[in-house]
Amino acid sequence: MIMMNVDNVKSQMRKGMLEYCIMLLLHKEPAYASDIIQKLKEACLIVVEGTLYPLLTRLKNDDLLSYEWIESTQGPPRKYYKLTEKGEDFLGELENSWRELNETVNHIANS
Amino acid sequence: MKKTLTVNLGGTVFNIDDDAYRLLDNYLCNLKTHFRKETGADEIVDDMERRISELFSEKLSGGAQVITIADVEEVIKRMGKPEELDTESEESASEAFDKSATSGTNSGAGNEDTTSKDNKTGMGSGAYSHRRLYRNPDDKMLGGVCSGLAAYLDWDVTLLRILFLVILICGWGTLIPIYIVCWLVVPEARTAAEKLNMRGEAVTLENIGKTVTDGFEKAANSVNDFMKSDKPRTFLQKVGDAFVMIAGFILKVCLVIFAIVCSPILFVLGIVFIALLFAAVAVAVGGGAALISLFPLHDVIMPVSPLSSIVMYIAGILLVGIPLVSIVFVIFRQLFTWQPMSSGLRWTLLILWIVSVATFSICFAMQGFTFPELLIRG
Repeated sequence: MIMMNVDNVKSQMRKGMLEYCIMLLLHKEPAYASDIIQKLKEACLIVVEGTLYPLLTRLKNDDLLSYEWIESTQGPPRKYYKLTEKGEDFLGELENSWRELNETVNHIANS
Repeated sequence: MKKTLTVNLGGTVFNIDDDAYRLLDNYLCNLKTHFRKETGADEIVDDMERRISELFSEKLSGGAQVITIADVEEVIKRMGKPEELDTESEESASEAFDKSATSGTNSGAGNEDTTSKDNKTGMGSGAYSHRRLYRNPDDKMLGGVCSGLAAYLDWDVTLLRILFLVILICGWGTLIPIYIVCWLVVPEARTAAEKLNMRGEAVTLENIGKTVTDGFEKAANSVNDFMKSDKPRTFLQKVGDAFVMIAGFILKVCLVIFAIVCSPILFVLGIVFIALLFAAVAVAVGGGAALISLFPLHDVIMPVSPLSSIVMYIAGILLVGIPLVSIVFVIFRQLFTWQPMSSGLRWTLLILWIVSVATFSICFAMQGFTFPELLIRG
């Protein structure tokens, strides 16, 4: 039996939101992994940077993201990520779901 | 003063202290092991390597010339130790947060590779939390079987080994093949989490941190790990190591010979399999007449109905085919280190096979009334 622990629950909630937030960020504009990491850290959605990479790979393997290699004068080439069309549709679904959840929670809280 | 090495990390060249290199190498190997079940594992680790390389470049931009062990530790903390990285196949992160190791149920064990021995959690003793039988690579004389078993049972290793030898000497020689079977079947505890599970200790972040930075995590392959293990090997143990290496080699050779010997048998089975396949197709397409023309011996078996004979032949194909495919798969896996079959697939095949046995028997029995004829003619 796992002790109910507020940090536990918070962490689960954040984990559920990660993919959604990554896609939201990329929807706004394409980005490098390091940019995504920075924004997610600012939002306290991730604690360690390594969490991002398996997610990015999974999303890419599901065709929701794509990347291209961008050359740089300061170092080796880097992956520049953007949402695919399928990703945009997927994001639309997630947004609906988020809105519904939001309304449900508010409804329960206020009724 | 320390020795440094030059490394290519994610496309950039760095000077790195010797000890820092070993820690980083360890970390990257642990990541590879951690992600081994994910598709795209190589890509994930490659991306992480590149990120680490970016972070190192930042560190060096201030004028420092070498990556030190402190730098590596900092980067590892930033990137996250393998157990902090959540992946779908991993036992849930709640295990990592579980500070009270009193859990009697087993949340994620089912999706681990099913070659490990049956989990004895919850059977009688509440002290056995998340205990799993592994072979212990840090304390092995031959295969680490006794060591792993001792860790599981919480007994002294030496005592267990003495017990083992006593039983062996008393005449129960079957213990040797049993040991070899264990050596082959029981997996080695490689990651820190597995080692903690071996001892039944709670898999918490603190415990894992301890085992990782103490360098206990074992890189995936490489016999050179004998050098890395903390205790110097005595002469007897070195003899044991050599023996194991030779035995392992001999085993592989035997397996190859076995495969070669088996292949005529497999070939014959393959022909039977294809023959049944043809029969099924013929029956499906041309009905009983085609069947009779293909197999003159079977003209005594008048199908009760075309449907039942189709079913019977399909069942027959599965009956022969599934074991055949499984054997081929296992042999190839040994030879070419393929990925093990997922447990879902394994169970599906097993159930399918049992169903086909049942179906085949029933259909055959349904036609049983013609058997006496077969016997008379034959």
